[in-house]
Amino acid sequence: MSDDKNEKKVHGIVAEYTSVDTLLDACRRVRDAGYTKTDAYTPFAVHGIDKALGIKPTVLPWIVLGGGLAGLATALAMQIWMNGINYPYIISGKPYISLPAFMPVAFELTVLFASFGAFFGMWALNGLPRFSNPIFTDPRFDRVTDDRFFLYIDAKDKSFNQAGAEKLLRDTETEYINTVVDDDTSTVIPKFLITTLITVIALSFIPLLVVARMRVTTSSQPRFHIFPDMDFSPARDAQQTTSLFADNRAMRPDVPGTVARGELEEDLDYLTGIDMESLTRLDADRAKQLVRTYAQAENGEPENSDATPKTDAPAEEKSVMDTTPWLKNNPVEITKDVVLKGQEQFNIYCATCHGRDGRGNGLVNQRAQQIMASSWIPPSSMHQESLYAEQYPDGKLFNTISNGIRKMPGYAGQIKSKDRWSIVAYVRALQQSQNASLDDVPKDQQAELKAKKADVEKALAEQAEAERKKEEERAAKAAEKE
Amino acid sequence: MSLAIPNGLDNTVERPGERAPLVLGDTTYHDITEAVCQVAERPPGRGWIFGFLVAFALLNWLGICIAYLIYTGVGVWGNQAPVFWGWPIVNFVFWVGIGHAGTLISAILFLFRQEWRTSINRAAEAMTIFAVACAGTFPGIHVGRAWLAFWLAPYPSLNLWMWPQFRSPLLWDVFAVSTYGTVSLLFWYMGMVPDLATFRDRSKNKWRRMAYGILALGWTGSSRHWMRYEKAYALLAALAAPLVLSVHTIVSFDFAVSQVPGWHTTIFPPYFVAGAIFSGFAMVLTLMVPARTMLGLEKLITIRHLENMCKIILATGSIVGLAYGTEFFIAWYGQVPEEQFAFLNRALGPYWWAYLTMVSCNVLSPQLFWFRKFRTTPWLIVLVCIFVNIGMWFERFVIVVTSLSRDYLPSAWSYFHPTWVDWSMLIGSFGLFFTLFLLFCKLMPVINMAETKSTLAKQLHMKHNDEH
Amino acid sequence: MSNHAPAIKPADDPAFTLPATLSALSIPLCAGGLLALVGGWALGSFGVDVQFGMSAYLTAFIYCLTIALGAMFFVLIQHISRAGWSIVVRRVAELMMVMVVPMAVLFLPIVVTLWTGEGTIYKWDDPGYAEHHHIPAEVWANKTIYLESKFFAARAVIYFAIWIALAVYFFRGSVTQDETGEKKITERMQKWSAPALIILALSMSFAMFDWVMTLAPMWFSTMFGVYMFSGGILAAHCAVAAGTYLLQKNGAMRDEVTVEHYHDLGKYIFGFVFFWIYIGFSQYLLIWYGNIPEETIWYWHRQLGVWGALSLVLVFLHWILPFIGTMSRHVRRQPTLMFGWSVYILILHFIDVYWCVMPEVYEGSGGTLAAVGGGIGIVASILCAVGMAALMIGLILRIAGQTRVAASRDPRFGESLAFENI
Repeated sequence: MSDDKNEKKVHGIVAEYTSVDTLLDACRRVRDAGYTKTDAYTPFAVHGIDKALGIKPTVLPWIVLGGGLAGLATALAMQIWMNGINYPYIISGKPYISLPAFMPVAFELTVLFASFGAFFGMWALNGLPRFSNPIFTDPRFDRVTDDRFFLYIDAKDKSFNQAGAEKLLRDTETEYINTVVDDDTSTVIPKFLITTLITVIALSFIPLLVVARMRVTTSSQPRFHIFPDMDFSPARDAQQTTSLFADNRAMRPDVPGTVARGELEEDLDYLTGIDMESLTRLDADRAKQLVRTYAQAENGEPENSDATPKTDAPAEEKSVMDTTPWLKNNPVEITKDVVLKGQEQFNIYCATCHGRDGRGNGLVNQRAQQIMASSWIPPSSMHQESLYAEQYPDGKLFNTISNGIRKMPGYAGQIKSKDRWSIVAYVRALQQSQNASLDDVPKDQQAELKAKKADVEKALAEQAEAERKKEEERAAKAAEKE
Repeated sequence: MSLAIPNGLDNTVERPGERAPLVLGDTTYHDITEAVCQVAERPPGRGWIFGFLVAFALLNWLGICIAYLIYTGVGVWGNQAPVFWGWPIVNFVFWVGIGHAGTLISAILFLFRQEWRTSINRAAEAMTIFAVACAGTFPGIHVGRAWLAFWLAPYPSLNLWMWPQFRSPLLWDVFAVSTYGTVSLLFWYMGMVPDLATFRDRSKNKWRRMAYGILALGWTGSSRHWMRYEKAYALLAALAAPLVLSVHTIVSFDFAVSQVPGWHTTIFPPYFVAGAIFSGFAMVLTLMVPARTMLGLEKLITIRHLENMCKIILATGSIVGLAYGTEFFIAWYGQVPEEQFAFLNRALGPYWWAYLTMVSCNVLSPQLFWFRKFRTTPWLIVLVCIFVNIGMWFERFVIVVTSLSRDYLPSAWSYFHPTWVDWSMLIGSFGLFFTLFLLFCKLMPVINMAETKSTLAKQLHMKHNDEH
Repeated sequence: MSNHAPAIKPADDPAFTLPATLSALSIPLCAGGLLALVGGWALGSFGVDVQFGMSAYLTAFIYCLTIALGAMFFVLIQHISRAGWSIVVRRVAELMMVMVVPMAVLFLPIVVTLWTGEGTIYKWDDPGYAEHHHIPAEVWANKTIYLESKFFAARAVIYFAIWIALAVYFFRGSVTQDETGEKKITERMQKWSAPALIILALSMSFAMFDWVMTLAPMWFSTMFGVYMFSGGILAAHCAVAAGTYLLQKNGAMRDEVTVEHYHDLGKYIFGFVFFWIYIGFSQYLLIWYGNIPEETIWYWHRQLGVWGALSLVLVFLHWILPFIGTMSRHVRRQPTLMFGWSVYILILHFIDVYWCVMPEVYEGSGGTLAAVGGGIGIVASILCAVGMAALMIGLILRIAGQTRVAASRDPRFGESLAFENI
C-alpha cells in the first residue's frame, strides 16, 4: 500500500482519545461532516462504533456458509467414493454406503471447513497480515493496544483537506492530533534473514528429494532394519525345528481326537470304511477299540498313536484285512461332481506314483526304475482283477487310501474323508474306463471319439514311422563309419 | 482469610438487579495491560523455573518411554487379552475430556453471554490445546507401529491401494480429535492476535518486537477489523460449540457402538460430554487457583469467577451421577443378563475399589460445592477439583477395564495389571501438559486483555449511568 | 452502549395485563377444547377401537406435557443462570409451566385403563403378553416388578407431586413479586432453582421411561428421557415465542418485548433444533450400529410404511428445514417469521410424539394405513391433540387474566428491556 512517489506523503490525520465516549462522540461528528474514509483504532471492540462510523456489515457469514457446505460435500463425496465405490468391502454387516456412519465425519469436516472460512476469510477481508502500515509511524500509536483510542481520517477521502480536518478534530475532546506520513524506515528485509530462510527452505527439500528418488530407483542393498525384532519374527515356519517340544517339531500335529470341520456328524462306517455292525458281531474287541480311538476326545484320555486300528497294519496281516466286513458300496452318493473331485484329488495325491491312468507308472516310479532303487516296491496298477470292486470292496480301498499298504503311507491326515471316498469313486471310474467299449460312451460323443481315435492312431503310426526311419538312418550311419 | 479480596469487595454476592463487578478495584485499561504483560515481561521466578524443570524432566521421561515402547513393541504395556484397551485409551479419554473446558468456556459461555468468561478463557483455551496434544499422543502410539500412524489419513497411497474404513468409530475419532485440535488452535490464536499486538507494542527488545510483530499479523485495532474480527469470533464460537459436543460424543461412540456389555448404552453421548466438561473445569480450576496468586491476577480472576466454575462442576457432576444411576436402572429394567452382570461387576466385582473411588470422587465430592464456603475458599476448591480429576480418570478406567476384563467369553477373563511403562506414561503426559502450560504463561498473554477491557468498559459505562 | 434503557412502566400498566381480546377467548377455548378432546377420543375409541382411542389420547397428553415441562426447564434455567434478557418473556413460560396441574387430572384416564382393560395402552398390563411374545418367565417376573399397575400409579403420583410443587412454588414467587417487588424472592428462587432442576431432570426422564418407553415393554434406551426432553424444550421455546407474539399482536407488552428478544429466542430455537437431532441421531446410530435385534426392533417398526414416511418427515422437516430456516440472523430478527417457525415446530413436535407413541398400538403392523386407524384414526389423533392444546391455552388465558403477563417488578426487568444482541 505504501506509496513511494513522495518521500513524506501525507496519508491522513489521526487524533487520540482517552475514553470510549469521547471517541464515539468524535466519530459521529466526523461522520456527520461527510467523511467516509475514516477509521477508529481501539484497544478492544467498541460496540456501536460501526453505527457511529457508518461501517457496513461484513460478508463473512456467507464465506463461512460456503466453507461449511464445501466441507459437507467433500466429506460425503470422499466417504461414498472411498468406501462405497473405489474400495468397497463389507464390515460388520453394514452396507457399503452407510449414511448414518458417514455423518460424524461429515459433521467434522463441515465444521472444519467453515472454521477455515471464518478464520482465513476474516484475515483476508481485513487485508492482514500487513506488517508495514503508515499508521505505525505515529509515535503515540503504540498505546492503541493498551488504553488509547484513535480516530483517523484518510487523505484519500473526497472531502479531505488538511486544515479542515484538523479543525474538525480539534473541536473534539482530544489533546493530540498528528499527520500520518509515509513510513520511511527501510522496507528491506535483513539479508541474513533471507539467507537463513532460503537455506532452511532449501534444506527442507532434501528429505523430500531423497524420498522421491528412492521411489523411482531400485537398490541392490538389503533393506535397513530399524526394528529388527519386528522384521525378524521369532515365530517358526512350518518345517523348522524347535526346542520347545520334545519331538522338536515346530509344526504341531493335531491334538488327538481332533475332528475336522464338517466331519463331526459322520458315523464310524464312513470314517473307517468298515461295516461296524457286522464287525461288532465278528470281532467285538476290535470294534470297541475302533470306537474308542475315534471317540478319544470325549473320553478325555488321548491314546497313543500305536492304538490306531489294526486295519492300518501292513500287508502281512492279510487275515484281518480279509476278514474285515468292508463296506461294499461307497457311502457318498456318486454324482459327476464327486467323480470330478475324486479325479482332482487322485491327480494331486495318487498320480505321482500310480500314474494318471492308474497303471502304476507315475513319475516317482519311473524315477525309481531309472535309478534302480533297491527297496522300491512298484505301486500297484489299478487295472487288475484283484483290485476290482468284487474282490476289493470300496471300504477296503478307502481303508488303504486312509492308512496305506506296504510302502504306501496313509493319506488320512492329508485328504478329507469325503475326498477319499471321492477318490474311491474315481478309481472305480478309472477301472471301468480301461475296460469300456465304445457303446459305454453316450451316442452323441461316439463319433467324436472315433475321430479322435483315428487321429491318435494316425499320429502313433507317424511316430512309429519316424522312429523307424531314425533307426534306419542311425544304422546307416553306423554302417558308414565302419 | 481466603476471602481476602483486594479492595475489600466481595463480588460473589450479587444482588438481583445489579451486576457484581468482574474486574475489581479502581482498575483502568492500562492496569489491565500492566497486570497481564508483567507476567510475561518480568524474568521467570524461582517457582516457575523449578516447576518448569520438573515438568520438563517428566516430559523427557515420557519421550524415553515412547522410544522404548516403539523399539520394543506394545508388550511393554499391561495390555493383555482380553483388556486390549488398557491405560493408553484411559489416558486418551481422560485428556480429551480435560480438553473440553477451554473451548466450552470460550464458545458456549460466549454464546450465552456469560461475561465472567473473559478473564479465564485464554488460559482455558491453551489448556484445551495442550490437553488435546496429550490426548493425541496416546492413540498415536497405541496403534502399535506408531511410525505408520499416518495410514489413518485418507490419502492416495501407492503402497496400499486402499482407503480407511469410514464406518468405524475409531476413524471418526481421528477426524473429530484432529478437527477439534485445529479449530481450537485457530480459535485460540485468533483470540490472541490483539493481545499479541499489545505485546509487540510494548516490547523494548528488537527481536521480541519482531517475533510478536509477526505473530500479531500487523494488527492495528481498526474498527473495521474489529467488526469482522468479532463476527468471525462469534461464528467460530457458534461452530466450536457443537464441535465440543461432537468430540466427546464421538469418543463415546468408540465404546457405545460396540456390543460389549456396559459399553452399549445410548446415554453415553450426553453423559460423556457432561463428564468431559466436568473434568475440564476441574482441571482449569486446579491450575488457575494457584496461578492467579502466583501471577498476581487476583483482580482479574476473582472469587466470583472461581465460584461460577464451581457451580458448573456441581451441575455437571450431578448430571454424571444421574447418568450412573440411569445406567444401573436400565441394566436392571432391560433384563439382559450380560448387561446386568456388567454393572454388578463394576460395583462389586474385582474392580470395586476403582468404582468406589470413581463414585466418591465424581458424585460425592462435588456435592460439597452446595456449600458456599467450599465455592469461595481457594484451597478447598483446589482440593475438591483434584479429587474430581482423580475420579474422572477412574471413571474411564472403570469403563474401559471392567467391561473388557469380563467380556462375553468367561474363559478369557482376567485381571488387568499396569506396568511401570503405563505409570510412567500417565505421569509423563502431565509433564508434557505442564511444560506447555508453563511456557505459555511465560510467552503468551495469559488473560484476554482486549475482552477484559471491553468488560471493564461496560462496567464503567454502567457506573457512569448510575451516577447520572 | 449510549442508548439508555427505556423506563419501566408501573406494574398495573395495561401493557402487563392480558388483552381483552384474548381473555374473551378463554372460555370458548376451554369448552371447545374439551369437546374436541372428548370427541377425538370417542371417534378413536368407537371408530377404530378403544386401544387406538386411548393411545391417541396419550399422544395428546405427552405432547402437552412435554411442552409444559420444557417451559418449566426454561424458567428454572433463567433463574439458575441469573439471566437478565429473558425476564420480559419469562411469565409466558411460567404460565405454561403451571399447566402441569390440570395435566395431573388429565392423566387419570390413562391410569384408569390399567384397571379397566388389560393392555389397553400398556401391553405389559396384559397378562398374556409374556406368553404371546415368548418371553422367558424369569425375565418377565423381574420386568413386572417395575411394570406393575400400582407401582406405576404410585410413581405417577410422585412425578406430579414434584412438578406441581415446583410449578406452584416458582409461579407463586413470581406473581407475589408483581405485588411486592421484593428482591428476596428472586434470590430465593435462584437458590432453589439448582436442586429443582436436578429433581425435574430425574423425574422427567423417568416419567418418559414409564409413559412412553414402556409402550414397548421389552425395549429400552438409556437416552430416551433425554430425547423426549430435547423435543419438549425445543417446543417450549417455540411456545414462548409464539405466545409472546400473540400477546403483542393483541396489544400487550408492545414496548417491552423487542426484536432482540425474538432474536435471542430464535437462537435458542436454532440451537435446540440441533440438540434434538443430536440426541435423536445418537440414539439411532448407537442402536443401528450395535445391531441387537431387541433394540433395533423399535426403529424397525418405524421404518415401515407410514411410520417410515414419518421418520423421513422428522429428519427433513423437523431438523433440516427449520435448521436452515432459522439459521439466518435476518429471519430471527423478524418477529412474524419467528412466530411462523415456532408454530411450525410446534406442529412437528406433535408428529415427533405421535411417532414415538402410535407405532406401538398395533405392533408389527408394518405401517399400513390400518395401523394409523385409517382416515378416522388420523382425524381422531389430531382432534385429541388440538383439543387438549386448546384446553391448555384456554386455561393459560384464564390464569393470565387473573395475574399479569409479565414479571414487571423483577429486579432485572430493566436489564431485559435494554437487552441487545451482540
